Amino acid sequence: MAINLPETDVVVVGLGAAGGVAVLPLTRAGLNVIGLEAGTWMNPGTDYHADEIHNNVRALVTTGNKVAGEIPTVRRSPTETAVQQARHPMMNAVGGTSIHYHAQSWRLNPWDFRARSATIERYGAAYLPEDTTLEDWPVSYADMETYYDNVEYEVGVSGVAGNIQGRINPEGNIFEGPRRRDYPMPPLRSCDFLDHMLEAGRSVGYHPYHGPAAINSQPYDGRPGCQYHGYCDRGGCHVRAKNSTDVSTIPKALATGNLTVTDNANVRRIESDNTGKVTGVTYIRDGEEYFQPARAVLLGCYTYENIRLLLLSRSRFYPNGLGNNRGQVGRHYFGHWDIQGGTLVTALFPFDINIWYGAIAQGVMVDDWADDNFDHGGMGFIGGSSLHVYTEKHPIGAAAMGTFGKVERRWGSAWKDFIKINAGRTQTAYIQTNTFPYEHTWADLDPNVRDPFGDPVLRITNGPKRNEPMAAAHAADKMEAWFRAAGATDIVNTGGGAGPNLSTHAHGGTRMGLDASTSVCDPWGFSFEARNLGLIGGSVMPTAGARNPTQTLQALAWRTAQHLVEDWNGITA
Amino acid sequence: MDKPPGAEGRQVSRRNLLKSAVSASSVTLIPLATSSCSTPIQPSGLVISAEARVILETFVDRIIPADDNGPGALDAGVVLYINNALANWNSNETDMLVEGLFNLARASRRRYDKEFSLLPAANKDALLRDMEDGKIEGFANSAQVFNRLHRLTLEGMFSDPYYGGNQDYAGWDLIGYPGAVMSSTPDMQRMGSRLPPLHTSAYGSDYDGD
Repeated sequence: MAINLPETDVVVVGLGAAGGVAVLPLTRAGLNVIGLEAGTWMNPGTDYHADEIHNNVRALVTTGNKVAGEIPTVRRSPTETAVQQARHPMMNAVGGTSIHYHAQSWRLNPWDFRARSATIERYGAAYLPEDTTLEDWPVSYADMETYYDNVEYEVGVSGVAGNIQGRINPEGNIFEGPRRRDYPMPPLRSCDFLDHMLEAGRSVGYHPYHGPAAINSQPYDGRPGCQYHGYCDRGGCHVRAKNSTDVSTIPKALATGNLTVTDNANVRRIESDNTGKVTGVTYIRDGEEYFQPARAVLLGCYTYENIRLLLLSRSRFYPNGLGNNRGQVGRHYFGHWDIQGGTLVTALFPFDINIWYGAIAQGVMVDDWADDNFDHGGMGFIGGSSLHVYTEKHPIGAAAMGTFGKVERRWGSAWKDFIKINAGRTQTAYIQTNTFPYEHTWADLDPNVRDPFGDPVLRITNGPKRNEPMAAAHAADKMEAWFRAAGATDIVNTGGGAGPNLSTHAHGGTRMGLDASTSVCDPWGFSFEARNLGLIGGSVMPTAGARNPTQTLQALAWRTAQHLVEDWNGITA
Repeated sequence: MDKPPGAEGRQVSRRNLLKSAVSASSVTLIPLATSSCSTPIQPSGLVISAEARVILETFVDRIIPADDNGPGALDAGVVLYINNALANWNSNETDMLVEGLFNLARASRRRYDKEFSLLPAANKDALLRDMEDGKIEGFANSAQVFNRLHRLTLEGMFSDPYYGGNQDYAGWDLIGYPGAVMSSTPDMQRMGSRLPPLHTSAYGSDYDGD
C-alpha cells in the first residue's frame, strides 16, 4: 500500500534539462513544487574526470540506474521483432543529461516553426515528404523569443548574436531570427583551427560563426569560465562552467524556499480521477511506495520516458494510457536524423590541427545548408543540415581513427607510423539535419521486454525515410567542400547515413499542436485530455531543427510553467 | 585522490604482474591480485592463465610493435590494462576472449606446427590477418575476437596510465597527446606543430605509472 504524502501545488517529474528549468518560474511565483528525480546529486569535485575511459569508453558519468533498466527496443519495420539496445543514451541525476551534453545551446530558426506552410508557399504541397505527419508548430519564433531570452540569461548562454532586432551582424548567424538583445556572454574563445575554418568557410561563400553554448565563456552567476580541458563530451564540468540545471536554475529555485528535491525517486504512474484530471504520482524510493498528490503535474522526463509513463498510466478514464484517448501518444516520434545516425565527413589535414583540448561546443557553425536557407527547387527534399567543426579530441578515439586507405591494416608498424603522424591532423564534422515526423515511425510499449518492475519498456519503430538522408547527403558534400578549402588532403564522406536507433535527440511522441486529433498537448504544452498535466521536454517538439534541441525544449518548459502560473485557477479547477 | 567508480588501475601493478608470470606451458590460474604493497587489493583480480597471457602478449606486440617509432604495446603495459579490464569492467568478455586466444594458438600449431609466440613475425602477422578477416578454420568468431582484443589493445595503449597501460606515456607520446590537464591555455590549441609532452595523468603523479 502506498504511503500518502501531503498534497503539493506542483509535482515536476524529472529534474533534467527541462524540469530543472521549469521549477524556476514556478517557485518564483510562490508555488510549492516537489521535484522527483530518479538519480541523485552529482559532485563536480569527485565525480568528473579528464579521462576518456571514465567518460567515453565506460560511460561512468552517463550511466543511470533507472534508465539502465528501461532501455528501449528498436526495429526498422513493423514486421520485425524489436531488439533492446545496449545502452540508454541518457542519464539519471539532478541536472539529468544537461550534465554530460555538449551544451551547444540554440534557438531554432523562424522557418523551423512553420516548415509545413513555408514549404507549401514556396514549393507547393507536392514538395512535402511522402508519408509525413508534419504540422506547423502551434507557436511561432516570435512567441518563443521571450522564453529563449529567459533561458539564455538564467541558464547562461555564450555566443555572438547574428540578428538583434533586425540588425544583422555577419560575425553571428545571419539566418537566425531577431533577438531582443545580445547574449549575456561573448562566445567561447576561438583557436587557430577554428580561425582557420572560419576563413576557409568564408572563402567558399559560406557564413560561418562561433556557435552558442550553455557554457560560461567568462565568470557568470558566481561560477567560473570554461577551462577548455577537452573532457566536456559525456563528462560533467569539474569547475561548474557548463550550465547544467543542477548548477544553474535548480539552485536558484531552491533559494526561493519553494522547491523540494526528492532524489532516487522512481516514478511509476501518474494517477487520474474519474473526470480525467491527474491527482498526483506514484513513485518508489528505497523500496517504499509513495503517492504524492498534486494540483498539477509537469512530466519532464526524457522523450522515451515521457511517452512510456503516459502509456503505462492507464485508468478507467484513460484505458489506453493517460491523455491517449485519441491514440496520439507515441505517434509523431522521431530521432534526430544524424544524431547517432551517422552522416560522417572526416578530413585529414597535412598539418597538426591540435584540437586535443577545448570543448565540443567550442566550434564554428555554418547554417547556409540548413532549414530553407537555400533554394530547394528541383532538389526533391526539404530542410537541410547545419555543419559544425569543433575542438576536443581524446587519445583512444584519435588512435582509432580511420586510415583513409593509406595503410592496409589498422595495426602493425605501418599503421603505427600512420597514426604517429596523423592522429592530431584529423577531424569529423558534426552534421545535424532537420527531421520530420512520419506515419511509419512511432513509439509504443514492447510486448516482450520488461523493466525490473515488470513494466514493458518502450519500443521504437523507425521506418525508412527518403527526405532526411537526401538533405544530409547534400549538406555532407558542402562540408567536404569546406574541408577542402581549409586544405584537407583526404576526406571520407559517408553520405546520408542510416538514421538513429536510439537517440540523444529523440523528439515527439507527445506532440504539441492546435488539433487534439493529431496531437497530445495544446499550444501551451498541456494535455488536451488531462488539463492539469503539462508535458515538457523534447517529446512535445513537432519537428527537429538542424541543431541541438536543448535550449528550445528549455524555453518551452519555461513557457509551459509560466502558463501554469498565469492560468493556475483555470488549469487546476 | 578519489577513484572513479569502476576504476581498478592500481589493483594490479605492472611489477606484480611481471612477478607473477610463469612459464608458458603452465595452465594454472595466476592470482594477479597478490601483492606485497600496502595498498588494499580487492580479491577480484583473477583473470587469465599464464598460457593465455603469453598468447595475448604476442597478440598485442604485433598490433602495436616496438619499432623506430618508439615502444610498443608490450612495453607500455597493455597486457596489464587488459588483465585489469577483464577482471573488472569487461569481465563478461573474458571467457570469449580467452577461448579466442586458445583458438589462435591452435591455428598456429595446425598451420605452422609451432606455438604462436615462437613464430617468425611474418607468420604471426599472416595468422592475425586471417583472424581479422574471419578466415581461420574452426574459429568462427575470429573477427569478433580480433576486433575486441584490438580495441582493448588501443584502450590500454592510449588511456590514462592510471589504468595500467600507457606506461611512461608511451601511447600519448606516439600520437602527440600532451597529457590530461584541468585547464588548457590558448597556446595549447595552436595549430601547425606538435605540442610538447606534459606527461600528466588525470589522477595525479601517484598514478603516472611504476
